[in-house]
Amino acid sequence: MWAYIINLAVLISINAILAVTLNFILGYAGIFSIAHALFFGVGAYTATFFAMKFGAGFLSATAAGMALAALISLALALPALRVRGEYFVAASLGLQMLAVTVFTEWKSVTGGIGGLTNIPPARLFGFAVTQPEHFLLLSLACLGLIILVIRALVRSSFGRSLKAIRDDETAAWAYGKNVAVIKTTAVVVSSALAAVAGSLYAFYLSFINVESFVLDTSIQVMAMVIIGGTATLLGPVIGSVLILLLPAGLSYLPYLPVTEIGSIQQIIYGGAMVLLMIYRPGGLWGFQDTRSSRKGGAA
Amino acid sequence: MSQGGEVLLEASEVAKTFGGLKAVDDVSLSLKSGIITTLVGPNGAGKTTLFNLMTGHLPPDRGQVRWLGKSIVGLPHWKIARLGIGRSFQDLKLFANMTVAENIETVTERGAWLWQPGGRAAQKARRDKVEATLAATGLGDKRNARAVDLAYAERKFLSLARIMASGARLWLLDEPASGLDPGSYQSFLSLLRRQVREGVTICIIEHNLDIVQGISDRIAFLDQGRLLAEGDPKTILSDPALAAIYFGERAV
Repeated sequence: MWAYIINLAVLISINAILAVTLNFILGYAGIFSIAHALFFGVGAYTATFFAMKFGAGFLSATAAGMALAALISLALALPALRVRGEYFVAASLGLQMLAVTVFTEWKSVTGGIGGLTNIPPARLFGFAVTQPEHFLLLSLACLGLIILVIRALVRSSFGRSLKAIRDDETAAWAYGKNVAVIKTTAVVVSSALAAVAGSLYAFYLSFINVESFVLDTSIQVMAMVIIGGTATLLGPVIGSVLILLLPAGLSYLPYLPVTEIGSIQQIIYGGAMVLLMIYRPGGLWGFQDTRSSRKGGAA
Repeated sequence: MSQGGEVLLEASEVAKTFGGLKAVDDVSLSLKSGIITTLVGPNGAGKTTLFNLMTGHLPPDRGQVRWLGKSIVGLPHWKIARLGIGRSFQDLKLFANMTVAENIETVTERGAWLWQPGGRAAQKARRDKVEATLAATGLGDKRNARAVDLAYAERKFLSLARIMASGARLWLLDEPASGLDPGSYQSFLSLLRRQVREGVTICIIEHNLDIVQGISDRIAFLDQGRLLAEGDPKTILSDPALAAIYFGERAV
């Protein structure tokens, strides 16, 4: 049971990193990317590649993944952000589909459908992180660090520029904001940080294949952000806890046949999303933010 | 009334066509420093399009736009903004989900970089500017309210606060007073007057002739994309031919 809880906690923290980094562009900059799983995958495959081929440790393997993810996101952001939001969604979808093909076909690096096995454990400062408890600490530390970085960014002038662009791009241009550069920077930062989740994931499971990095993953991460609350620091974390606990919780209900859990889960997701949009359009955590600013308004 | 100082912004023979419609048709207009120039004319006269051409939101089909004598045609509009040309929008375009203070703070910040240059001194200067702007526009006690939660008149004042805090030398205001109740618009106009005394130059699109009369140092009259007349308010407003056009009786 203990091992099960630790395992779930590690997966939650990895998914929370994805949700928090997606929220950085979705919530604060209004950029709807459905290619987040691609950067998750790039982080995972790159870290694995460097760990298996060159014996890289956790930090250098992760750094390599972040660098490559940043580079690829630049290729997406530079042309796509010059046009309006809808085109970015389309471009990110295209890149996500392309990436799945590459992940599947580039067998010498990704292992194809079968994936890569026997990924060595993460080495950090000379120690191999083999205990799940220790790995949980590592992934929580990464999550904490990433939340701190994003917190610093959104509270800076950069964060205010992002929100200004989200709220009105034309006005942002008119007040001297170089919108294209600001949006591109945001996408690059978000993608590089998402690659950290990929590296953790690969080292934790010691096995990866393309199924973890498909469009469904992108959409699930987006659901975490929206359910938890966009443009809030902790909302996406709450969203990822809920979405990962839901199937786990359902499997404990004794009167549910195991084979039906999948479809019941979908019904609950759908129902929850509809209720959320009606009663808490700002997300579960977003509610508080709205309230506090309203109070300030009435004062 | 003052006739103004040096020419800040000069449009010469600018033209813009949308499909077959000549929205702006060879208009030449100079905006001189230290005065309020008003653009008047019926709907569709090309006033907002002229603003868009002056600020680089639209490239002119032909003609020149010069800022302090230098051509700014072809510059991206965020660069033109940084030269000191600020504008407001008819539909305000506030940063709706940001607080009043954030709306103002963000326009005082320059650049796309993650940190602002200038260290603590510059940071304090920006903070002082935000406070001064909040005080001047009477929005001090709304500082933590989101722009979207403001009342209509407060939103108008916020759009003015934003342009004020941006440090722009030339303000292009697109119907800033429309829809204000008489009390609000009196304080709105005196705010504009005070800014002009402090060195700001304003060009304003306005429909209400009472306001036009009360505030203008010069008036430019546009109709169907052409500049029909330009001069001091008395001459323009007493011209019966222009009045006929303005009130919809098209001159034959």
